[in-house]
Amino acid sequence: MNIVQKTLAIVCILLLSLNGVAQISPGDLAKVHAHLEGMSNCTQCHTLGSKVSNEKCLECHKEIKTRVGESKGFHASAKIKNKECTVCHSDHYGRNYDIVHLQKEKFDHNDTGYNLEGKHGKKDCRDCHKKENITDVQLRKKQETYLGLSDLCVTCHEDIHKKTLSNNCQNCHTVEAFKPALKFDHARAKYQLKGKHTDVACLKCHPLLFREGKNLQQFTGLAFQNCVNCHKDPHENKFGQNCVQCHSEESFKKTKVSGQFDHSKTGYNLIGRHIQVACKLCHKVSITTPVKHEKCTDCHSDYHKGQILKDGKVANCSDCHDLTGFTTFSYSTEQHNLSKFKLEGAHLATPCFDCHKKGKDWNFKQVGAKCVDCHQDIHLHFIDSKYYGDSSCQACHGVFGWNDINFDHRLTSFVLEGKHATTSCRKCHFVTKGNAGLEQKFKNLDASCEKCHVDIHQGQFKKEGGSVCVKCHSFDNWKPDQFNHDTTRFKLDGGHKNVPCLKCHKVVSSENKIFINYKFKDILCATCHLR
Amino acid sequence: MKDSTIHKLIISSLVVIVTIVVAVLMYFGYDYYSIPLEERHFHPLNQSMKASGIIGHGLGIVGSLLILLGVFTYMLRKRLRFFSRMGILKHWLEFHIFFCTLGPVLILFHTTFKFGGIVAVSFWSMVAVFLSGIVGRYIYLQIPRSIEGRELTLREMEDQIAEMNKQLRQSVILDESIYEITYFSPNDLVKQEGYWKKRKQEKAVLRRLRSELKRQQIPANKSVQIVQTFKDELSLKKRIDRLMTMQKLFAYWHVAHLPFALIMLVVMVIHIFVALTFGYKWIF
Repeated sequence: MNIVQKTLAIVCILLLSLNGVAQISPGDLAKVHAHLEGMSNCTQCHTLGSKVSNEKCLECHKEIKTRVGESKGFHASAKIKNKECTVCHSDHYGRNYDIVHLQKEKFDHNDTGYNLEGKHGKKDCRDCHKKENITDVQLRKKQETYLGLSDLCVTCHEDIHKKTLSNNCQNCHTVEAFKPALKFDHARAKYQLKGKHTDVACLKCHPLLFREGKNLQQFTGLAFQNCVNCHKDPHENKFGQNCVQCHSEESFKKTKVSGQFDHSKTGYNLIGRHIQVACKLCHKVSITTPVKHEKCTDCHSDYHKGQILKDGKVANCSDCHDLTGFTTFSYSTEQHNLSKFKLEGAHLATPCFDCHKKGKDWNFKQVGAKCVDCHQDIHLHFIDSKYYGDSSCQACHGVFGWNDINFDHRLTSFVLEGKHATTSCRKCHFVTKGNAGLEQKFKNLDASCEKCHVDIHQGQFKKEGGSVCVKCHSFDNWKPDQFNHDTTRFKLDGGHKNVPCLKCHKVVSSENKIFINYKFKDILCATCHLR
Repeated sequence: MKDSTIHKLIISSLVVIVTIVVAVLMYFGYDYYSIPLEERHFHPLNQSMKASGIIGHGLGIVGSLLILLGVFTYMLRKRLRFFSRMGILKHWLEFHIFFCTLGPVLILFHTTFKFGGIVAVSFWSMVAVFLSGIVGRYIYLQIPRSIEGRELTLREMEDQIAEMNKQLRQSVILDESIYEITYFSPNDLVKQEGYWKKRKQEKAVLRRLRSELKRQQIPANKSVQIVQTFKDELSLKKRIDRLMTMQKLFAYWHVAHLPFALIMLVVMVIHIFVALTFGYKWIF
């Protein structure tokens, strides 16, 4: 055997002896891959001609493949997704090689798609990533896996609401602290909290129940359609169960009585103007504070200040006023006529305030029954008081008007006869005095006709400083009924009887005055006929 | 410049190259190589320095090529008649040693000092070849050779000794005492039993020779030449004395050095085959 043959023999022996011991593996696999040791297993991970492919890894690590496929988790993050598995998880670094090599300090949990915020950031990985929190049976079998947790809080946290609420705890709770549920907004609930409800302790409405050996605060399944679901009805259903018609959440005592509120059920029906009156005007303290309502003056001030009496007592407003308003009243003329002052004539048409409102205030009590209590005595000092007593207008005037005069002129020295009886008083008693207007004159009136009447005869019959009209004229008209031509110095005879007056008594003009001439210097025939 | 000086410079350069390569790789890679295997993957240099990394893999390929170059060129020179007259065998051996030192060094860094699997067989075979090479080099030196590196026959050696004696006598007029020392003592020393006893006696003879030369006021340069010639003669005599043993050892050494080299190469081929099969193609 030459040296070469010897050498080959040794090499063969060495190789055969080493075959069982020395594999082509470049080093021991990590503990978790130890079952893949051995030459027959190389291609379990390695792809011939192209190192270790992700496909090979994911053939075994199906849970990762699934998550990457669903674009979920750390391996689906942008940081990792297109990397070769071996960049992070190589092998053949010995049994003790930590193939996962999770560096807790450096690991950015945000890459998993689940941000560690608040208290979560202070927790140890294994506080959450533990078998008890993994629901998947297969994953639970895996040693030290970080998979298997869902985003749901109940994965790790106890559902103290016992599935009575949504499993998205973060709708209400923050990751900073479970209590208080800072993100909870009652506005998102079916029942909106308003007014005082916002201050009410949750437990007042959401009671503690005892379920499965633990306290369970009831947040769902609560009746809230009616206030009486929580509140006691102090009205004992008198007003129905729609409390919000009157009450608001601001306060039970503060009410917003709407038009729909049936006030009749309170024992006091709102009629007329009361319907439109704001509740507050009567319910000054609060709507629920009892209001006295027997008398109008319980609410209304006595506008008449106790002047209106009935049976010696202050009368109730409703005796005169109804609920349509104070400006209207039901006090009738008949009722007025029952008073000391009967309304008659023009008084019936006189507005109340003409008599009862002197100045600003109404006066019903001491108006006075005399005319001069209301009316001005315009004749004072003009008419002798012996004719109308103590300003008793009624001595002359009736109640139908000031022109309704029924004075008996016979009481005076000047009896009214004929036309004088129908002539307006004013014709004789009111005299125009230039710019000063009319001046009444009742006293010391001159009884002569000329005082009132114009002497159209221009003094032709004037005698001893005055005319004697009545010699010719009566009081019925100005026709000279009393005149008898035969009583004159010229008696009418013959043809003179049929001659018109104006044939003899011509219209003449003298001193710019035109008149009929009745007085002749003489009664000679020539006086008329020779002209 | 003398050929020997150039030769020394080249040898020194080769040593410096190996030293620098080791120093550079250790300087840059120490941090990586010194951490436990389990932690290597997480080291920043891992991607480049690992066995399949751009540097690590490169070291393996270059190291392997150097070894193959060193082994096969030397083998061809030694075994094929065609190359037998090409250069001095000693120089080929020196390049063989250089390549097969630098190659394993690079391989060592390629392994990242991780010795497992079949490739470890290759590695340890390489280590065995390397160490046996050092031993072989020692044995090799023990067998006197011609300037081309051919083993000298016993006759040639004896002629050389006679020549040396002649040189000694011609160089200076040696008195009896020096002659006695230079002529008889080598034979006595060679026959002496026991390594340490022999070394002790050798030193005593040399001391005696130097003091004798000094006493006779031989000029310094002459004195050094005489001592060197004496040492050469002594060495040659010792080698002649050990020649049989060494020639036997050298035959056995071949049986160790070559098989390990073959194992290394075979496993290296397997390793390369496996690496290529699994797609580790370096930059290609």
